Amino acid sequence: MRELELYFGPQHLGMVGNFSITLKVEGDRILEATANPGYLHRGFEKLMELRNWIQNFPMVCRINVVEPDSMEMVYSMAVEKLAGIEVPERAHYIRSVCLELARVGSHLFGLWAYANMLGFDTVAQWAMYHRDLILDLFEELTGGRVYHIYIWPGGVRRDFPEGFKEKIVKTLHSIGSCVPDYDATFFNNRIFYERAKDIGKITREEAKEMGATGQVLRATGMKYDIRRVEPYAAYNQVPWDVPTRKDGDAFSRIWVIRDEMIESVYMIFKLIDKMPDGEVYNKVPNPFKWNIPKGEAYVRCESSRGELGLYLVSNGEDKPYRAHFRTPSYPHGLTVLEKALKNASIADVGNIMISLYVVAPEIDR
Amino acid sequence: MKLLKEKLESIFSGVQVNILEQDRLIMSAQKDAVLSILSFLKGKGYTHLALISCVDWLEEKEFELVYVLSAYMQKDNGYTDKEKTNIILKTRISRGNPEFLTVISIFKNAEPYEREIYEFYGIDFKGHPRLTPLFLEREYKIPPFRKDFDTREYVKEVFDKIPFVENKDGKK
Repeated sequence: MRELELYFGPQHLGMVGNFSITLKVEGDRILEATANPGYLHRGFEKLMELRNWIQNFPMVCRINVVEPDSMEMVYSMAVEKLAGIEVPERAHYIRSVCLELARVGSHLFGLWAYANMLGFDTVAQWAMYHRDLILDLFEELTGGRVYHIYIWPGGVRRDFPEGFKEKIVKTLHSIGSCVPDYDATFFNNRIFYERAKDIGKITREEAKEMGATGQVLRATGMKYDIRRVEPYAAYNQVPWDVPTRKDGDAFSRIWVIRDEMIESVYMIFKLIDKMPDGEVYNKVPNPFKWNIPKGEAYVRCESSRGELGLYLVSNGEDKPYRAHFRTPSYPHGLTVLEKALKNASIADVGNIMISLYVVAPEIDR
Repeated sequence: MKLLKEKLESIFSGVQVNILEQDRLIMSAQKDAVLSILSFLKGKGYTHLALISCVDWLEEKEFELVYVLSAYMQKDNGYTDKEKTNIILKTRISRGNPEFLTVISIFKNAEPYEREIYEFYGIDFKGHPRLTPLFLEREYKIPPFRKDFDTREYVKEVFDKIPFVENKDGKK
């Protein structure tokens, strides 16, 4: 049969985000796939070198559009480490609650994309609606719906408003009460099983070899989670579990996402119960005259997609000398995707890509 | 960690190892030793290459390549100190002759990182199977992430030449 070259994306219904894949196909089989990022390259890491430490906050959150809070968190952690700033106890709890809310929101967005791609429009609408409820919470807390710029070096920007805890609990209860509906229409649906089982299979050895983290690795049964391995914020203060699956295919990855959402909601309840009173912010020097001592740091946290790292170098000046983000989608969208697409069928490209949970702005930066 | 430090210092000459707080081990090595140190560390269980980065030290006329390694879990349940450790391996290469060897033979996922550094810093990785552009679409005289690349000047040079929409038909 004749070999053809197909361009999948960036203008394609099965493609989420500004990303494209060049496929070499024979009939319906993919012989070779080449990931083709760069549509969203904005050079943030270069621009960060030209702005001072505080000015970079509105920039880092735009690296991952879907879940900006973990970006702020990792940058704050690096700055705190270099400058030696302590964070109050209550701020740690607020940060954790904020990050877990963002994780649930991001997973619901991922569920929207996945369900939409499979043709489950009803489930997609539910997920989008429920994500909106979480964005409403963020709007009340921070003033922004998508980009929050809430986590700062030294703590968080402001305390919870009055009655906010109860509001979180109420919203999460109303989302949680829909889990049986989600299960009946989507997760236990035969169509989802048939479409996702054994698709885009990645064994644990392959995943380790290709530098995978997050759901891609947890779907192969390894309980690797930075929140556990190297606890930050308040993650070592409450008990919680790392959900895993065994098979390493698209079906397992989506189920891991579902279980993680539920685990996050329980974690938020526990964190809110245990949250101490006190300050939420330790004062930092005047940001316009703030020189951070010479040094370098590699910090990492668990974003909703896997290990998020930041290598930050300071030259003793008021600007970073070099910042390099290790984003989880980078290995997933380039190395793992190219491997997983080999010998798949054209109809499964979107399925594999969204189940790998690739978000394009994170790759391009 | 201290054991690892002693072992590294005894096996490889010219290696400086520092242990920072929070399980970070920073070491700098000569460029000839990097590949053997990486395969030694991989044999020790540090199989996760998290990041390859590059820093341009303009004043010292050197590029610094940074390899960040950590370990995946050894057992299915329970964590050891090993997984908490991050090893940061640094090496310097001259700015005048920017080339280095690829580490794909040791870590398969080094491929896109090296492509990115090739594109942004112009460092040629010998033995890399596809050093093609990854993100950028235009040609650059100076690779854009180098410190002597002036973003403002570049914008003026490239985008000021594009005529305004009103001027295209001769009208103002």
